[in-house]
Amino acid sequence: MKKYILFLVTALFFLSACEEISPTVTGSMAGGGGGGTDPVEDQKRQVIIEEFTGVRCVQCPAGAAFIRDLLTLHGNQLIAVSIHAGDFTTPYPESQYDFRTDEGNQLLSYLNEPFGFPSASVNRKLFPGQFDLQLGQGDWAGYIASEMEVAPKVRINIEPEFDSGSRELTLDVTLYVDEAITEPDVRLSIMVTENDIKDLQITPASSTPQADYSHKHVLRDMLTSYDGDPITESLSAGVEIKKSFTYTVSGDWKEENCEIVAIVSLAGASKEVLQAHQVHLVE
Amino acid sequence: MIPRFWLPIVFLTLMLQSVTAQEAENGQSNSNQGRLSGNLQLNGNFFMRDSLIGAYDIPQYDRQLFGADSWLNLNYQNWGFDMGIRFDMFNNSNLLNPTGTFTGIGIGRWYVSKKIHKLGITGGYIYDIIGSGIIFRAYEERPLAIDQALYGVKVTYDLTDNWKVKGFTGRQKQQFDTYNSVIRGAAFDGFIGTDSSKVTLAPGFGAVARTLDDGSMNNLVATLNTYSKSDILEMFPDTLGKEGPNYNAYAFSFYNTLTAGHFVWYLETAAKSKEVMYDPLGERITVSGDTVIGRYINKAGSVIYSSLSYANKGLGITVEGKRTENFDSRTRPQEEGVRGLMHYIPPMTRVNTYRLLARYAAATQFIGEQAFQVDASYAVNKKLNLSANFSNITNLDGDQLYREIFTEIYYKYKRKWTLTTGVQLQDYNLEVYFGKPDAAPAKTITPYFDFLYKFNSKTSIRFESQYMLMSEDHGVKSDYGDWVFGLVEFTLAPHWAITVSDMYNIAVGKESAVDFKTGEKKEIHYPRFDVFYTHKANRFSLSYVKQVEGVVCSGGICRLEPAFSGVKMSVNSTF
Repeated sequence: MKKYILFLVTALFFLSACEEISPTVTGSMAGGGGGGTDPVEDQKRQVIIEEFTGVRCVQCPAGAAFIRDLLTLHGNQLIAVSIHAGDFTTPYPESQYDFRTDEGNQLLSYLNEPFGFPSASVNRKLFPGQFDLQLGQGDWAGYIASEMEVAPKVRINIEPEFDSGSRELTLDVTLYVDEAITEPDVRLSIMVTENDIKDLQITPASSTPQADYSHKHVLRDMLTSYDGDPITESLSAGVEIKKSFTYTVSGDWKEENCEIVAIVSLAGASKEVLQAHQVHLVE
Repeated sequence: MIPRFWLPIVFLTLMLQSVTAQEAENGQSNSNQGRLSGNLQLNGNFFMRDSLIGAYDIPQYDRQLFGADSWLNLNYQNWGFDMGIRFDMFNNSNLLNPTGTFTGIGIGRWYVSKKIHKLGITGGYIYDIIGSGIIFRAYEERPLAIDQALYGVKVTYDLTDNWKVKGFTGRQKQQFDTYNSVIRGAAFDGFIGTDSSKVTLAPGFGAVARTLDDGSMNNLVATLNTYSKSDILEMFPDTLGKEGPNYNAYAFSFYNTLTAGHFVWYLETAAKSKEVMYDPLGERITVSGDTVIGRYINKAGSVIYSSLSYANKGLGITVEGKRTENFDSRTRPQEEGVRGLMHYIPPMTRVNTYRLLARYAAATQFIGEQAFQVDASYAVNKKLNLSANFSNITNLDGDQLYREIFTEIYYKYKRKWTLTTGVQLQDYNLEVYFGKPDAAPAKTITPYFDFLYKFNSKTSIRFESQYMLMSEDHGVKSDYGDWVFGLVEFTLAPHWAITVSDMYNIAVGKESAVDFKTGEKKEIHYPRFDVFYTHKANRFSLSYVKQVEGVVCSGGICRLEPAFSGVKMSVNSTF
């Protein structure tokens, strides 16, 4: 009998020690992030979340809504790009647009196909304890917050000039290296995204897709290779690197809803994004 | 990382040295001191793109073209030790993620175990279960890429011949790594009665606890901090701003098997402390004002499961019932699908094996489910056997999730031929199990037959056929509509078996394949051709497969599998 009592007492201690101190949850963020663009000299770490989604993905509107909340929370320190690639992306016969792009499909392979949708990569980083660059919704907020704590090694300035007649966009991108980047392969990616595109999207509310669903920050095209163009210049501290691009903006896109996103990232074993920055295509 | 790989190498060296030394000593290859055994499973898939059936747009079809998985398991017993090591290989494999690719090679498992009088110790990757698995089950299910081994230590102690206790602690395996949360547990199992007793009892009690790692907790808090204050207040009443989710979650279960004559009664009841878990069907309003489906909840959980069986004189009846409430137990709450599950809740439906009968399987609902099942079989005589099964699953609000009525008649004519035939009726909630919004349930009627004719003791031929009649949803047949399936299997025992089958979408439904040229839905054939060769303990197979997308389940744990087109081959060997 003593053995049984000993076991029960041991089991009790083994399973439940003392009362734990739980972390504090406050809920409902202050929403103080705001929008706008800080001057480049004051630029903080800007984190990019690349969300993989599709018009036939019933769970994806929940992911988009969550990103909307995160953008409200973090303001211009968070940049979102919605990439329509993989399953669930075939447009409906009644769809006005096909959001799929070659670069989007390539990015899906580059960042690995997700286990389920919606899925997102935060700064293209493999976080400790994770097995993939693709993250389920439950991990987005935490990793975004932790990435914002890290000071950027490089700051990015984007100066767009858009001719509404010819629809030609001239882009001057300047990189300000604050801390030497020693990795051998560093890339610059330029993306064009568009906001508030009204088109069909399946939602949990109905088996009929919602016709006026507002698609946000949809990846429209890239001015560089999908994984970025190599930066061949020295990336020593204090260096400034200027890059120029010209591009003809599709007449199907509303330029006032378009954004230009620049990403400085590594390539190779690590694809980590060192800094991202976003500006409106037209002010 | 070094110790994890250093230890198995030591064990492997010991195993080889021991075998070599004994061989040298004995001057023969067989030793009567140590015993080395093992098995190999090797699967290879050649992917052949077929965009019509949806077999495309994943790396294997686009560029990799070939993928393979393999497990080589070696076990060795000597000096009172049991030890084992398993080499796992995934090359461009879509097993872990059916729409992705994974490549990894390494030691998938190792363990060493020793019994010292009444004390048993095991270290390494451990598979184990408490009760029926409701609060804890560490197991492997390769077709679903489940490998929930516990990487840690287990001790057992025989208090008496009939009463045993065990305790364990570790972390859950994930491919070639482990999750960071720590799991610990204990169980106390007994047996009351003797082998000759008319009435016996096998009672037990188990407890499991999980401590969330800091990284997972930080992510959880960051996510919850985006929820509205009213949601947080609902989750953590009276503690807003003072308290949040618990690191430690506890689960307890009592279970007992009563055997009395022809009756066997199993009862297990389990409870779980308050814990944050993901409710895939829960609704919430975001701070931006959007209504979204899927949210975290913070609730205590419970499961009660019971099974009563009677077997006597050709009659066998089993009645089962189960109620589950908020019992999603994972190593971290962010994990989805089959990943990170720490437990296993027994399913409440029969395991169907015929192709069309198995098409709609009810995945266990961890957040809320009420289910019961009756299974009966009666052997009228040596030739004729009748069986039937009824299962019914609802959510906790009484909404129908699944219902199945199954009948079977088995008739055996001498040793010449056998006929198995019957009908299955299903009512399957597509909205819950397939995530199809607003979809009417799929109601199917599927008659089937299976006829086996033996030419002689070695040669036989088997015909199998099923027809699935599907209900309509707003004038269109649900899901893929009607199917017909036919199979012919020719067996030349003991070595060869050849099968040819076809699954044909005879009347298209909402989800049937669309012809890209015409835009019309198309009736498609899904043929399959298999050759199996068995020689002693080795089995080889080569198959050409076109397979429609569907749900693959094992014991109520399911996942969606995309369509497949290509050639599969496998080698299975035991030594």
